[in-house]
Formats: sequence, C-alpha cells, structure tokens
Amino acid sequence: MPTQASINAQAQVFLSPAELSYLHSSLTLNPAIRPDGRSSTQFRPLVAEADILSNANGSARVCFADGTEAVAGVKIEVEKTQDAWKAADAALDVDDGEEYEEGRGSRRKADLSEDVWVETHVEIPGYREDDALPVFLAGILTEALLASGELKQRLFINRRFHWKLYVDILLLSQPLSYPLPLLSLTTHLALLSARVPLLISQGEEDPLFSDDWAAATLLYPRTGAVAGDKPPITLLVVTIGENIIFDPSKDELAVAESVVAVSLDEPSISPAARSGKQKANPQSRRNLRLLSLRTIDPPSHLTSSGVPTSLGMETGADDFGTAATSSEAIVAREGLDRGEVWSPPRGGLKRNMVVKIIKECTSEEGVGQEVIRALAAVG
Amino acid sequence: MTSLKRPRTADPSSLALSSRVYVRSTKSGKVQKIVREVYLRDDIPCSSRLCSTCLLNSLEGYNKQAPKPKLSDQPARTGAYTNGHYLVPDTNAFLSAMDVFEVESAFKDVVVLQTVLEEVKNRSLPLYNRLVSLTRNDDKRFYVFFNEFRKETHVERGTGESINDRNDRAVRKVVAWYQAHLQQEIKGSKKKAKLPTIVMLSDDKENVKKAKSEGLDAVPLKEYISTLPDATTLLDMVSESDKTRTGGPKAVYPEHYTMSKMLTGIKAGTLHQGIFNVSNYNALEGSVHVPAFERALLILGRENSNRAVSGDTVVVEVLPKAQWKTPSSQAIDEETLAKDDDAEAEGETVFSERERRLLNDEVKRVHGSTLEGKPQPTARVVGVIKRNWRQYVGHVDGSSIRVAEKQNRAQQMVFLIPMDKRIPKIRIRTRQAGELVGKRLLVTIDSWERDSRYPVGHFVRSLGEVESKEAETEALLLEYDVQYRPFPKTVLDCLPQEGHDWKVPTSKEDPGWRGRKDLRDLLVCSIDPPSCQDIDDALHAKPLPNGNFEVGVHIADVSNFVRPNNAMDKEASMRGTTVYLVDKRIDMLPMLLGTDLCSLKPYVERFAFSVVWELTPDAQIVGTNFTKSVIRSREAFSYERAQLRIDDEGQQDELTQGMRSLLMLSKKLKQQRMDNGALNLASPEVKVQTESETSDPVDVQQKQLLDTNSLVEEFMLLANISVARKVYEVYPQIALLRRHAAPPRSNFEELQNQLKVRKGMELRTDSSKAVADSLDTCVDPKQPFFNTLVRILATRCMMSAEYFCSGEYTYPEFKHYGLASEIYTHFTSPIRRYADLEVHRQLAAAIDYETLDASLHSRTKLDAVCKNINVRHRNAQHAGRASVEYYVGQALKGRDIEEDGFVMRVFSNGFIVFVPRFGVESLIRLRDLATPEPHGTYDADEYVLTISGSRSATIALFEMVRVRIWDEKEASTGKRKVKMSLL
Repeated sequence: MPTQASINAQAQVFLSPAELSYLHSSLTLNPAIRPDGRSSTQFRPLVAEADILSNANGSARVCFADGTEAVAGVKIEVEKTQDAWKAADAALDVDDGEEYEEGRGSRRKADLSEDVWVETHVEIPGYREDDALPVFLAGILTEALLASGELKQRLFINRRFHWKLYVDILLLSQPLSYPLPLLSLTTHLALLSARVPLLISQGEEDPLFSDDWAAATLLYPRTGAVAGDKPPITLLVVTIGENIIFDPSKDELAVAESVVAVSLDEPSISPAARSGKQKANPQSRRNLRLLSLRTIDPPSHLTSSGVPTSLGMETGADDFGTAATSSEAIVAREGLDRGEVWSPPRGGLKRNMVVKIIKECTSEEGVGQEVIRALAAVG
Repeated sequence: MTSLKRPRTADPSSLALSSRVYVRSTKSGKVQKIVREVYLRDDIPCSSRLCSTCLLNSLEGYNKQAPKPKLSDQPARTGAYTNGHYLVPDTNAFLSAMDVFEVESAFKDVVVLQTVLEEVKNRSLPLYNRLVSLTRNDDKRFYVFFNEFRKETHVERGTGESINDRNDRAVRKVVAWYQAHLQQEIKGSKKKAKLPTIVMLSDDKENVKKAKSEGLDAVPLKEYISTLPDATTLLDMVSESDKTRTGGPKAVYPEHYTMSKMLTGIKAGTLHQGIFNVSNYNALEGSVHVPAFERALLILGRENSNRAVSGDTVVVEVLPKAQWKTPSSQAIDEETLAKDDDAEAEGETVFSERERRLLNDEVKRVHGSTLEGKPQPTARVVGVIKRNWRQYVGHVDGSSIRVAEKQNRAQQMVFLIPMDKRIPKIRIRTRQAGELVGKRLLVTIDSWERDSRYPVGHFVRSLGEVESKEAETEALLLEYDVQYRPFPKTVLDCLPQEGHDWKVPTSKEDPGWRGRKDLRDLLVCSIDPPSCQDIDDALHAKPLPNGNFEVGVHIADVSNFVRPNNAMDKEASMRGTTVYLVDKRIDMLPMLLGTDLCSLKPYVERFAFSVVWELTPDAQIVGTNFTKSVIRSREAFSYERAQLRIDDEGQQDELTQGMRSLLMLSKKLKQQRMDNGALNLASPEVKVQTESETSDPVDVQQKQLLDTNSLVEEFMLLANISVARKVYEVYPQIALLRRHAAPPRSNFEELQNQLKVRKGMELRTDSSKAVADSLDTCVDPKQPFFNTLVRILATRCMMSAEYFCSGEYTYPEFKHYGLASEIYTHFTSPIRRYADLEVHRQLAAAIDYETLDASLHSRTKLDAVCKNINVRHRNAQHAGRASVEYYVGQALKGRDIEEDGFVMRVFSNGFIVFVPRFGVESLIRLRDLATPEPHGTYDADEYVLTISGSRSATIALFEMVRVRIWDEKEASTGKRKVKMSLL
C-alpha cells in the first residue's frame, strides 16, 4: 500500500546509478554481502532504556545506530465503557422504519468503542500532527496493538469500566530512514514497562485502586496468569533478489526490490498448553504470530535508472542535441532489454518471498523472537 | 542485537533530589499517578537546645529570627534513662495512645516525625488535629521534624518493601541520626552536657526488635508507660486494639461491604446512604432517613444495625417487603436489655433470649391493621461510610465488675453505660475498676470488631463522683459538645483596652460616632427576665403628631466590638451560641463585652443598632428605618416589674405611657400573626429555684407567662422580619436567614390517629393555619391541661428551624412555618447568638454603614457557619434541657410526692407519664408496678394497655393518672433517677 506518506518518509537517495548497481549486485549474492558486513538477519546495535519518565505509566527511549531516536510514553486512565453490547442488542430489536439508520449507528458505535480504547499519537519534528505521515504511522501502530484482541482483555476492568491507553511517541531526530521499526520498538518497550494501579474493588463495582504505586501491576506481566503475551513489534524487511534482509540501512533501502512491514506478537499461552509441557519451561521459545504484513513502496522505485547518456534525459542531453528523441528514450527505459547500468526495481513481492519472510520472522528461532527477547532484557 | 541501560545513580544531582510516587483517585473517578519531587536539604534543625550547629544553619523565620529550639537540654529522666531522654514515637503509638500523650505530667520532649504526622493524618483526622494542637503547646515540647526533607534521614522505599516497613525504617533512621548528631554536638561543645537517650516508642514488636538489633533504644509503648508514675491510669488510656486476638470466637455480625461495593450500590440506587439514628425509647430500633423514601427506614435489632452507632453515616439495604415491620411498641433500654451479659465474654450470639422475644412480639404486630400498624420499610446496615464517634460520658456498670477491691490491679473488662441512651454499652479494659465505680467517666470507642457484641473503648478521664454538681455539669457540657474552657489569651487580646472603663466617646468627631444617630433623648427601656445581665434589646415608643406611633427596637451593637475574622470572632463563631444551664452560663463572648460594654444597661450610654418603625394605631407598618445609634436606657425592668408598672394607674409618666403603647401595639401584632396562621406551640418549661448561696435546687415551678413577655417577643419578631427583608433585598444570594420547613404530613399521622381514636378530635395539617385552628379545638373541658399536652406532642412532630444562606433555597422555601412568616432571621440577640452578629454585619453593609467583609460574601463560608451554628444551637438547647432535668431530679431528692400526670405514650410493656408540675416525663414499666410482673395486654388500635395479674389497671393514652414520684439511687451505679409509679 504505497502512499504519499511513505514516500515522504524517505530521505532522498544520493547515490549514483553505478553505486546503486554495485550495492544491488552484492546484496543479491548468496549469502548477501551487506555494506557494513552484517549478516542478513543481523541488527545494528541500538541503545534502549525503559521506564525513563516518572510521570508516565510506562515509557522508553530507543536510539538506532543511524542516529534516529524516539521516546514513547504510555498513559493509562480509567474510562467508562460505552454500553456497546446493549446498544447493539437494542438495534436488533428495532423493527420500524428507523431500523436501518439506528441499527447502523449503533453498530458503528460498537465497532468504534473497541478502537477508542487505544489512542496513539506520533510526533515528528517538522510535521504537523494532522500531516499524513504521523497519522499513518500512528494508524499502523494502533492496528498492530489491537490486532490480536488480547490487549483489550488487559484493558478490561469490568463491564462498565476499562483502561484507556494513550501512547505518545516523540521522534527526536529527523526521520532519516523509514521510522516505523524505531517507533514500534519504542512502543513495545514502553508498554512492557507500563503499570496500572492495583485494583482493589471486585467484580462489577465502581473500580477502586490502591494508592500505593509500588503495588501497581504490569500491563504485560512477566510471570503469572497471562505471562508470555508481549506487545507487538513491527519490523521492516527488504527483499533483494532471493535474499531477505532485516534492519535495512538507508543504502540498502535505496536498492530494495520490495519493502515489507511485518507486525508480530507472541501469543499468550493457552491455559491448557501451560499446564502441559510448557509449564516446565515457560521461557521456551515459541512461534510468533503474524499480525499484519504490508508492503511499502520502496524508495528504490524513485531512483532514476542509469541509462546511457545517449538515451538519458537527466544529463540534459537534449540541450546538446546529441540525444535521441525523447520517445526513443522512454522506449529504451521501459523496455525489457536493459542495457543500462541501473534500473529501478519494478513489480511487487513474489509469493515465495512472502512465505520466506513469514517463516523467517515467526519461527521459534527466528528474528522476531530474537528482537523480542533482546528488548525484554532491557526491562 | 545488544541493549544498553543507563545506570541511574550516575547522575550526581540525584543526591539532593528524590521523588515520591503515589496513585491519586479523584472524585470524578479518575486515577492518576502522581510524582512529587523531594528536594533534600541539610538545614532542617534537630531543634534540641543542646545543638548549636543546627541553630546556626537554620533559616530565618518570617520575623527574621531563627525559630527557637524546642527540645529541652535537660529532658526528663527516668530509671532506665538516667541522662534524660527524647521520645520518638511511631504512628501506632499516637494512634493508640493519643490520650496518654496529652497528659500534662509526662511525655515531654517528643520528636514528631513528618512521616508519622502524615500517616496519622491519613488514618484519623481528629487524632491528627489533636496531635497538631499538641505540637503547638509550648509546655509539652513536641517538635515536628521534617525527616523526609533532611538529606541524612530521607529514606527511599526499597523494592518489594511495604509502605509500613519503609516508614518504620524511616523512624529508626531518625533515631539513629539524632543519636549520632547529638553525640557529635556534645563532643564538640565545651559544655558538660549529658547526652540524652533517644528512645523510639512503638507498638510494633517487630519494629522494636529491629531497632534493638540496630543498636537503638526502643521500647514498646505499654512497657514505657508502665515505668511512669501513675501508670495504671495511663495504661487504661491506651486504646484497646483487638488485633492481637487471632482465631477467637466466631463472628457475630455480618461483614461490612467494601467501600467500592457500597459506592457502586449507592450510585445504582440499590443501597442508600443516611445517618443512623437510634430511637430514644428503644435501643434496638434505629432509623435512617434516606432521600429515596419519604418515611425513615427502620433498622430493627442488633444484627441489622450491624455495629452502627447512633450518628454514624451508614449505607443500608432495604429488606424485602415480607420483612417490613411496624415501629416497636416496646420500650427497651440498653441497661435492662443485657443486664446479665458478661463483659469478659466475647459474644457468642447476637441475640440474647430476651431480645429475641422482644423482636418476635414485633413481628406479630405487623398483622395489626391500624394506620399506626402499617408496616414500614425496614433495612439493614451493610457498611459504615463515616464513623461519628466522639467521647462519651457514662458510668461503669457495677454488676459487670468481678473484682471490686481497690487494691486489686488486675486488668478486667467492664461495661460502661453511656449517659446517652442511644449508645450501646462500651467494653473497657481497666486496672482500676474499684476506683471507677460511682464515677462519671469520659471514654472513647476504639473499635467494634465483627466478633464482639459491644464496641471496645478505653478510659480517658474521670470527671468526678456521679451526682456531684461539677461532674454532672461537665458531663453535660461534654456530652453536648459545648466549648466551656476559658477564653484563650488571643481572644481576650481583642477586647477594647479600656476594659470596663470604656465609654461612648463624648466628642461627636470621634470615628466611633461616624454614621451613628444620636438617640439618647429617646425614652428607651429594656424588659428581660429578672437578674439578666446580658441585655440585648431595648424598646421605645412615642406618639407622633399624625396619630401614628414611632416604635424603636434597639439592639446591642456587638459587631462594633467584634471585628470579622479576628480571634474573638473565630472563637464566637465556633461556640455559636451562649449556653444557659440552670446554675451556669457558658458565654459566647467574653464577659466584658456580654455583660458590660455591649449590654444595654440602664442609665449609661451604649452603642446600639436600631430598627425604628412608624406604625399606625392598628400596628400596620408605614415606614422602617435602620440605623446605628447611641442610646441611653432609662430603666431595666424585669417582666414582672414592667407588668406592675403598666398596670399601675398611678404611673402616668412618659416612659410608662410609652410602655402601654408598646403593649397595645404588641397585642395587635400578635393578633395579626395568629390570623396568618402562626402556631402557638408549647414545650414544658419549668424553672428551678435555687438557694442563692449554694445554688442547690430548692423547688421547681412552672414558668409564668405575662403580657410583657409577649410584648418583647412581638417586637423582636417584627424587628427580625424587617431586617430579614432588608438584608435579602440587598444581598439576595448571601443573606443569612432562618427557616422553618413545613413538616411532612407523615409526621403528624400518628398523633392524628391517636386524637381521632381516643378523643374523637381531628387535627388538620394542610397548613400551619389549619394546624393552629384545629389545635385550638382540641380542648377537653374536664382536663384543662389536655390542650397543652396536645401542643407539646404536636411540637415534637415539627421539623427544627435552621439557619441558612439565602442562595441555597428558593424564596418560597424561606418560609418560617411556626411563625407563619415568609422570611425570617435572627437579629435581636447578638450577645448570645453568632447568627445575629453575622446579620448585624450584613445589615450594616446593607445600609452603607460599612463594607461587607469578604467572609460574608462567600456562600460556601456562610454555609459552613450556618451548619455549625445549627448544630451548636441544637446542642445548647439539649444541654439546657438536660440541665433542668438534672436539677429537677436534685430538687426531688429525698422527697416522695403524689402528682397528676398524663399518659403520653403507651407501649406493650409500659407507658410514659408526663408530669406538668415538674416538666418531667418518665417511663413506668409493668415490672416496676408489682412483682411478679403483671401481665399487660396492649390494644394498639385503641392505645389502651390493660394490666392484669398481680395488679390490674387500664392505661389509656391522654388519660390523667395519679402517680407517686420519688427518687431512687441505683445500687449498682449510684446514679439517681426520678422514678414514678402508679397509684
């Protein structure tokens, strides 16, 4: 789903066609040779710390190696639940002329009420808050948070009350490369450290909480009944040729054939499974669950092809009269016969690559698990 | 992927900065995490006179002087601490033994930690206020040490550490610091002072143990107290905590709901919140008035009242309709109810056999079909929102004492029977049982656990022998929460410096004369009860050339002397009213003002606030004028002397003529009022004649009412109404007014039915006029007193009048039901009522004499004032009545009289007789009539009790009976009671 927003996020590529071509060909090798010598699944080192803002319920700061840095704060408040079920039920009972209008209204309300439990807000320097990029990024993050439905159960207090989750993410640096993974990992960490005041009332009573902050419980407990479930992460994966490369640098993005944002989470252990063999080793690795996968228009699409000077417009050949006619040039560029140094990749993601990516991300020993475990160590 | 985490301690600035984190739940239901930064400093003094460093370091106060060190350099020594000692109590010590800390003789040089102070505040606001006032008492040398802000004594909460553990650690840290700090200080100084021991006081064994292992001096509270002189008394004053008891007998009361469950229920309307009131006649019957029901909900039996004590704010659940009952027809009081209880025994059952039988009786009565027998909704208490426990006066139930010898110091549980019949017996543990018998005692309730039939309390102090005048008077004042201590110095400082020599300035240029009218030429006089010293009001009347009359009411100008918001004003607003007891007056204002400078004494000039009307000979108001003035009263009459003077045809001077005009006008005013439907209500009023020297009561008389009484009353009413109109006109939102709500019809139901059944009379209650008219028709030619009796009973059906701020109600609700006036306030007695003083200020501002003080502009502040004076007013009335009652009892001492009495109320096991001659009412029980107890058959429809068996008689409501009155000293308690018996 390429959008204007995703395009805006790219820093411009200042590489010559020759450089692009060189990068591309070394990355298509098996195994791929990356400019910084990493293996294809290796991440660059990052600096992360959690629980840095004492006023927030949970918070985190993450610095990526490319100098991008983000801070996330999680604020959690009690909110009265709109009586969604009742409204929906009532709508079904209505049988006169207003049925259609009302029914739709209520159902919409019911749907909405699930989404409004989580509110994400992204702030990027230089962007207005209603600009497309922050809104789009916040949307992806919220979607990943809500996708499994498990977060909602954590936010549920009783039938009349729930916690409302506000995630505020502040990008401290310019969005040098596509910032989604950074924001996602920061959110993940912040949620991991988020606590809610201890509930001391029971059942359907108006909630009452202990005033002791030290007694506050983690939103994602490390141990106990619902342990195991972790907040989702969203990773950026690029494919080049038959290779899958994680944590792409700016240069690698510039030659990527496709860019995919993969949202993953660790599903909670079902009670049955936990009582079985899982109980013995709760730390054992498990498969991750794929929440969403979306392709992002790679910046390489915007690179200009390295056509020979005779056909090039970029070099301003027209002005010198030495160039072929422009129609010739277009034909040459669009044509399958690529005699040029570099041509921007075209087309989508191949099916077998999708399978490969999912496998690589979700398997027990996969990259997703590695990232989640590394972040858990930050604590 | 690697991760890094920045270590937190690396930041050097964090040494002086800490933070406190907690969760705050707001009223609107929000839950917030609050982080408070704490800046640590090193200039918070230890405040010991031994220390000079802290004195040098400490900051200057507002008066450019460093606060003086509080803790003595020669603190008290005891056997264990020969160098003297400072005490550092923990929170529990204060919570359980505040009464002991307040003792004058011990507990000096105490360091109160900020941690402890805050914890006390969270646990109990009244105790916190007492602790704060202790820290202000210079003799006690209690020093509040802000340990949380001192760098060395600040304590961070460890991970997994409970708040209590952390606070205990904070206390220990302070003890350690004080020790080290003073040691260093003494070493450094040349003075040869001995190092006092810093002693930690705690109730928590674990804490004491830890402190000892850290090398600190720590003692359990009780152990410390037992080393003090007079330890037995002091130990009794430590509150009783039942926490030590584990397991124990099974719970006799159901558990209270959690706060959240109650609040949810109240919001949802399934539970109701109200104030728990216990019936005066039946200790097992309580009622809770809740907004959702027109009639009060009945709470029957101990299990349903579930540990609620009269006055508590409780949450109740309405019982199913099948369990609705009628109010009890039995008279039950606490004393007889459980005479055979053993104070030591932990209650096994809630209901004694006797109680169960009484309750069964009631269930039977539900089937009665009279109006009175209509079942009323019943409810049970499911929780207590707020306890309203105070200190109670009572006496020890002699029969509950096992070992009565004075020498025996064994600790035992005894029952204390409170003076207030609505309060259950209180179990107190004491070592001085033998000494307490026959004394008036002050006790407090500490707790009421589920497994105990009665609340547990502790002894506070002894007021003296039962029946001694001092003890009884103090008991009364305590019981009605009357502030009777002498005025503090700050209040006396507000008095004019001239003292009794103060005079109205002679020069009219004096600021005191600004805006004042010179009314010294008017022939003003005052009419009051004999030997009245605080003369609030004076009157004058003179004919005008046009045939009308000029009538003036002159009220003492108290607001001239009591300026808003000074110490005297605050004290007065707290006291609210002057309390009149038979032999004593507890003043609202210091004597100098009340009986001299403000009092409109005869022959001297005084400042006054005057209301002057022009009235037609038919007593219609032509014009009203309000002014500050200077008057000179010509004479101070008593009611009797004024009456004599008016009646004496020989007296033809102008003053007497004026009084005759006043009398003539007052009669017309009264007629107007009656035509409007004002009620002529009655309450039994008697006067106790006392011997002048000893003020021992000699005789009891009914008060006589003269024309002159109503003369004064009419003009006071007129003045109050005129002032109310004026103040309301100028300040429609903030006028302080007085209203008397129309009673709900259900209040009269029972009386109406009784009159109909017994006398065939009808009481109409549609309006105050209807009530007034039908009361006039309730006359029994054979019983001249019957009308008064009905009026007394009708008065008891009324609501009580109250002060309010005009913004709180709409105009139609201002109505004063009893006086049938649209609007009313109190203006005429500023010496003895705070409300009048406030109204004076408002009126003065309304006539542009002065500007209105800010405190009178605020509705919330006025509201608080109104609430307080309403309570004080009621308490003062009750105290006054109780005092009369006590003196009547004393006057009857040793006598045996036969009198006429009237049956006021009939129960199935007794009846209440009212004796007009003495204004006393008393319950006559069947079992008091004869032994064995005669059998009684109560016909609830006819209000007739037929007694048969060992004694036969028929008792019917409203009938006159001949009773024998004598007084009896109860053997077990030494308490004197007026007893009556049927002849």
